[in-house]
Amino acid sequence: MNLSFFDQFASPYFLGIPLILLSMLFPALLFPTPNNRWITNRLSTIQLWSLHSITKQLMTPLNKKGHKWALILTSLTTLLLTINLLGLLPYTFTPTTQLSMNMALAFPLWLATLLTGLRNQPSISLGHLLPEGTPTPLIPALIMIETTSLLIRPLALGVRLTANLTAGHLLIQLISTATTALLPIMPTVSILTTSILFLLTILEVAVAMIQAYVFVLLLSLYLQENI
Amino acid sequence: MPTALIGTVFESHLRLGFFKKLNGNFLIICSVLHTSRPLHTTQQCLAPLPPLPEKGGEVRYGLIPEEFFQFLYPKTGVTGPYMLGTGLVLYLLSKEIYVINHETVAAACILSVIIYGVKKYGSDVAAFADKLNEEKVAKALAVKNEAIKDLETAIEREKKEQWRVEGRNYLFDAKRNNIAMLLETNYRERLLTVYNEVKKRLDYQVAMQNLKRQKEQDHMIHWVEKNVVQSITPQQQKESIAKCILDLKALSKSAQAAV
Repeated sequence: MNLSFFDQFASPYFLGIPLILLSMLFPALLFPTPNNRWITNRLSTIQLWSLHSITKQLMTPLNKKGHKWALILTSLTTLLLTINLLGLLPYTFTPTTQLSMNMALAFPLWLATLLTGLRNQPSISLGHLLPEGTPTPLIPALIMIETTSLLIRPLALGVRLTANLTAGHLLIQLISTATTALLPIMPTVSILTTSILFLLTILEVAVAMIQAYVFVLLLSLYLQENI
Repeated sequence: MPTALIGTVFESHLRLGFFKKLNGNFLIICSVLHTSRPLHTTQQCLAPLPPLPEKGGEVRYGLIPEEFFQFLYPKTGVTGPYMLGTGLVLYLLSKEIYVINHETVAAACILSVIIYGVKKYGSDVAAFADKLNEEKVAKALAVKNEAIKDLETAIEREKKEQWRVEGRNYLFDAKRNNIAMLLETNYRERLLTVYNEVKKRLDYQVAMQNLKRQKEQDHMIHWVEKNVVQSITPQQQKESIAKCILDLKALSKSAQAAV
């Protein structure tokens, strides 16, 4: 079928049935549930080890109260990582390219950290609005700047993920179109473009993993400030 | 019970004409109702589970199980599955069921990256997973071995204690002899003391008797002398003195002659 550049970002439908929920939940099928055998097969061992590493990595800077967030942050990391990496396969739909999904993930979680901070330690939370050691005349301006910075965080979180993935996918599409178009005309340039595409694919794999990690890391940082 | 609830919800939605609007949320409502049923929290069978197979199923080209090739072998030989694959691909391409577009190039790139990654790091990852399992098993084995070693040390110590118990008799004999000697010594000392005391008493008596006799003797001599001296009258005294002088003269004469 003929594809335009933005068909990959359209929410998928099949015979009128929306598949968006299926595409969001599909990555869960790829992880085998850990059964209660003591020695598991290689896949389960690697999966368990990686989940433990991720949880340890996220929870080490947090105090004991922050460990309540272990489940949601680890599962968020795994979800984003899997969705991003699966989106690199051809003809797949990546839910994280939709701003709606990323904002739906970022905004409530950020608001949860903010409200936790304001509820449990309001003065410390508000104290974060003024960095230490600022000269006195700058204080009003700095407070406004810090408030803006605080309020823009959910927007930044969502848009960062969306923009990175969308831009990456679009670049792949464009360069592969260039390769396909140049192939009959100038094959050598086409080969050059293919090498560029190869490098870009490697970059996109890296970006997919890094963006997932950064999303969750920033959330854990906001949590650290507020818990 | 849950299915009955779903049925009533569905019917109510139909009746109220919300069917079209809630079409997308049908799945969500189903799942919400089903969560009231408890999920499996334990394994269903308490018997020991069968062991896992050592290796995964044999796969050719990372995708197609070996059993497929074996399945086709009797009818089409070795090249059968390959002919099938080629024919299928050519059919899809020629009929434009699969259209070659820009995604094909992107697919080629990502697949080459994946295959390169798997080929290069696959064995390392497998070795790492095996190492993790080995460490787990080794830790448990270490606990078991340490327990066995501790028990063996305890057994040796117990045997040494039993050997010591055998030697205990000699110790008791030596101690008994020691005590017997002490008692004997003590007895003899006491015996000696008794003897000395008795001797002292007897010596005292003997000394008393001797003293008494001595005193009697002295007294008698004294009395005899006193009486003798008293009996000597002055007349007798003069006669005796004259006799003594005569004797002395005679003696002096004989003595002078001797000199």
